Amino acid sequence: MHKLAPLPVPKLSSVAELTALRKELIARCQTETATVTLCGGTGCQASGCRAVVDAVEAELARQEVADTVQVRVTGCHGFCEQGPLMVIEPGNVFYCHVQPDDAAEIVAETIVRGRVIDRLLYQDPVSGEKVRTEREIPFYAAQDQVLLGQNKRIDPTSIEDYIAEGGYSALAKVLSGIAPEQVIEQIKASGLRGRGGGGFPTGRKWESCRAAGDGNGRYVICNADEGDPGAYMDRSILEGNPHAVLEGMIIGAYAIGADQGYIYVRNEYPLALEHARTAIEQAQEYGLLGESILGTSLAFDVEIARGAGAFVCGESTALMASLEGKVGEPRPKDVHTVKQGLRDRPTTLNNVETWANVPVIINRGPERFAAKGTPESTGTKVFALTGRVKNTGLVEVPMGTSLRTIVFDIGGGAADGATVKAVQTGGPSGGCLPLSKFDLRVDFDTLTRAGSMVGSGGMVVMDQNTCMVDVAKYFLTFLQDESCGKCVPCRVGIDRMLEIVTDITEGRGRPEQLDLLEELAETVAETSLCALGKTAPNPVLSTLKYFRREYEAHIEEKKCPAHVCRALIRYEIDEKTCNGCGLCRKACPHGGISGEKKKLHVIDQSKCVKCGICRDVCKFDAVTVA
Amino acid sequence: MSTVVEDTLDEILDRYTDEPRYLVESLQDIQQTEGYLSQNSMCAVSERLRVPLIEVYRVANFYRAFSLKPRGRHVITVCTGTACHVRGAPRMLDEVAGQLGVEPGETTDDGLFTVETVNCLGACALGPVVVLDGVYHHHMTPAKLRKLVTRLRKAEKEAKSHA
Amino acid sequence: MIQYVTISLDGAKVRAVKGSTVLDTALGYGFCIPHLCHMPNFSGLGACRLCIVDVVKNGRGKVTTSCTLDVEDGMVVETSSDKVRRLRKNVAELLVAEAPNSRAIQDIAVRCGVEEVRYPFRNKDCVLCGRCVRVCAEMWQAKAIGFVGRGKQRRVDFPFGVRPSFCKMCLSCVDLCPMTITPCDGPMKPGEEYLCGKCRSQLTMNEESPATCVQCDLGKGFGCSRATVA
Repeated sequence: MHKLAPLPVPKLSSVAELTALRKELIARCQTETATVTLCGGTGCQASGCRAVVDAVEAELARQEVADTVQVRVTGCHGFCEQGPLMVIEPGNVFYCHVQPDDAAEIVAETIVRGRVIDRLLYQDPVSGEKVRTEREIPFYAAQDQVLLGQNKRIDPTSIEDYIAEGGYSALAKVLSGIAPEQVIEQIKASGLRGRGGGGFPTGRKWESCRAAGDGNGRYVICNADEGDPGAYMDRSILEGNPHAVLEGMIIGAYAIGADQGYIYVRNEYPLALEHARTAIEQAQEYGLLGESILGTSLAFDVEIARGAGAFVCGESTALMASLEGKVGEPRPKDVHTVKQGLRDRPTTLNNVETWANVPVIINRGPERFAAKGTPESTGTKVFALTGRVKNTGLVEVPMGTSLRTIVFDIGGGAADGATVKAVQTGGPSGGCLPLSKFDLRVDFDTLTRAGSMVGSGGMVVMDQNTCMVDVAKYFLTFLQDESCGKCVPCRVGIDRMLEIVTDITEGRGRPEQLDLLEELAETVAETSLCALGKTAPNPVLSTLKYFRREYEAHIEEKKCPAHVCRALIRYEIDEKTCNGCGLCRKACPHGGISGEKKKLHVIDQSKCVKCGICRDVCKFDAVTVA
Repeated sequence: MSTVVEDTLDEILDRYTDEPRYLVESLQDIQQTEGYLSQNSMCAVSERLRVPLIEVYRVANFYRAFSLKPRGRHVITVCTGTACHVRGAPRMLDEVAGQLGVEPGETTDDGLFTVETVNCLGACALGPVVVLDGVYHHHMTPAKLRKLVTRLRKAEKEAKSHA
Repeated sequence: MIQYVTISLDGAKVRAVKGSTVLDTALGYGFCIPHLCHMPNFSGLGACRLCIVDVVKNGRGKVTTSCTLDVEDGMVVETSSDKVRRLRKNVAELLVAEAPNSRAIQDIAVRCGVEEVRYPFRNKDCVLCGRCVRVCAEMWQAKAIGFVGRGKQRRVDFPFGVRPSFCKMCLSCVDLCPMTITPCDGPMKPGEEYLCGKCRSQLTMNEESPATCVQCDLGKGFGCSRATVA
């Protein structure tokens, strides 16, 4: 990777030294004439950005302009479907779907001559127009990227980048004369609420933890177990800006009086793990972690722990059990973890995004933070907008933005000419909200009142081809798989709910089962030991509330209106449209289609598993489903 | 602690001796180096970390990252997260069930392929996602998956005939 | 030095030992709160969820298991509110649908007010109450068995499924297992399971005084606190 020669690592022993270092780093950046920024997040890695980076560096060398061009591979920009992404300064030119073969032209035309390559520009799917600069991309322009914005400017493996961007100035401010209790007051005044799903007021949590100490040490934990399927905000923040999380944790440790911290990262995020490890090592080298941080009496260090594939470990007591080397079984929270948490010591556990907001609050002041969002849900929130929507990716907006704005204005509405039917928010603990509710403002309390929740920020858009009963079945299956199994209502209750919903999707549903489902849901919600069980009924209850007619169609007419539930649909090939090309026959994984070339093909219903692959590959729309 | 673990069982055990709280970490390291957790390694962990054997066995069975049987030479991981699900992830499982005859969690009889599912990789905008031997493939379709698997099979056959 | 706190138990102000649980306190005073996984002098697991109560602490009310809830001064506990009885009945219904072939569980189900079972019966031979696991670990320190697997796959097993040499066959696990007592008419045939309820004649008091001990089968030999007091 092309980088400026690193400075000899100084262990910073005062705030003044940090400020001086920052000045020096900023000065060095100004000697470049151009910067090529490439997104290096997991999504773009999957799209092949590594090869693009290599090609660009090779071309810069070949065309002999490497000395005055800085190549920076940053964290996730959040626009994953358009990757590999590239931004070129000066000019703020934005290229998408960049391939290694484009490198030569990009260097020669855009970098050397300042000319824009039209075919690499982003085309807005709503207006149909090409967009030249990153600033003008509608997807970004409608957002308020307080946190994600940093991802675009920082190489996450470079602490120098972070410092040059103003990183660790919040820590410096705190250590230059703000008392720990004052820091807690600022967090309280900001109104910051937990971004992991609980929405608990962060300042109050810190205050309780500080008060619970008995002189034997406290812990801070960063929960990076992001298990909600469809949510990847934390991945992007931890991967793309690990130092922001660290800075938040150090400030938190100072405020609470903790001397040891942990970042618990799920092992399905190898890049986030790597970047977090590197960041810790660098912070230790620079004297920002360890004994005597920035020359003060603050001593605090951070260790990384890996998740091992258990969604339940996103629950705080289960996470702590896992950190202690045990199975991730939650324990009752009659005594809160701020009093007795990890190894029975007072522990403050917060989500990645929550920690990343701390330096923002300290730097800008709590009033400016609270000025965004709503009075009860202040600040911005990062959402992962995915599913059947045109613009998928990460969306950071002030709390209180409406669902309609997020799904239609930013998301561009349904993909492939379909109609949006619902949006699922909050992951397996959340619920589905129908189109008629899209004027609801997204904040902690509004969504909860409507039967869903903000959760960690996942938003999956569904269209008319999604069966809402199947969605309930999907989440119940997920939770059944992830339940730790200790308590009866969760282990057995979810299983019985799934049994009923499966009956319904397979044509064995009876009307009285809906009442039983609701009663069972209440029992599971009220009597489960932990939040996994307590919130497990939400997908079922919300789909019953807003899409009851779909359930009734399955039960009374034995039909699946969205043509999804396999036991209730039948695939057939229309003899008028089929031209015997044989594509379906070759694609069927179970050898269930037969036919001769240029003659009508037939589906063997005894072999057909209703997977729909034949319908996908048919170019003539000859496969019908009813 | 390094990211890529290529240490021997002894080196791993040395690192965590007498530290019961690193039980999960030690088993993760062993899973990475040896590809699975054998009875032998679990007993060794119990002794060296001073954890009751039943606890080691419990942890090994609780977390999905661990497999107690050797896996195939190629691991196919299909993401079944919500975003991938609504974009057709179940069809990937249909495809491997038909092409390889195995369900998630199983290995083919010739020991070549193991199919697993994962509940979200965080690459949701690019779904459906399938990971093949650590390499992420995005916007997958059953046809693309079929091609990938066929190609791998062919490569294995050629390697075998050369050997 | 034993310290005491005062809690309210179904309207009665009682003195409780600091550090004890609400369940132990209630059972000590003769209030029966139905339970399955609880054993006196062993750690509280909170797995069966039958011993749930309505508790108000610092002005906040919630439903939680009394076996894992330590007494605190000023706590207000309702053991048989309508809500708790309804929830407890539903939990007991789930349990008896899993394992109808246990006299203890049948008794408990009827004791909790279950009159019909709305789920297809399964015939499990373990309800994962954890009595066996805890007696092996906490009384004998052998740790020869434990909960293995997650969710639906959770089972009690030896390491690697093989009885280790340090299991001394003390059979304490068998003694405390609620599945080892069969219904009075003998084991039920698979597919012909039913809610027995014959012991209902003993349980007519249930409706009038829900906290009264009914000498259910769990007490007779499994070490329910009431049995040791009576």
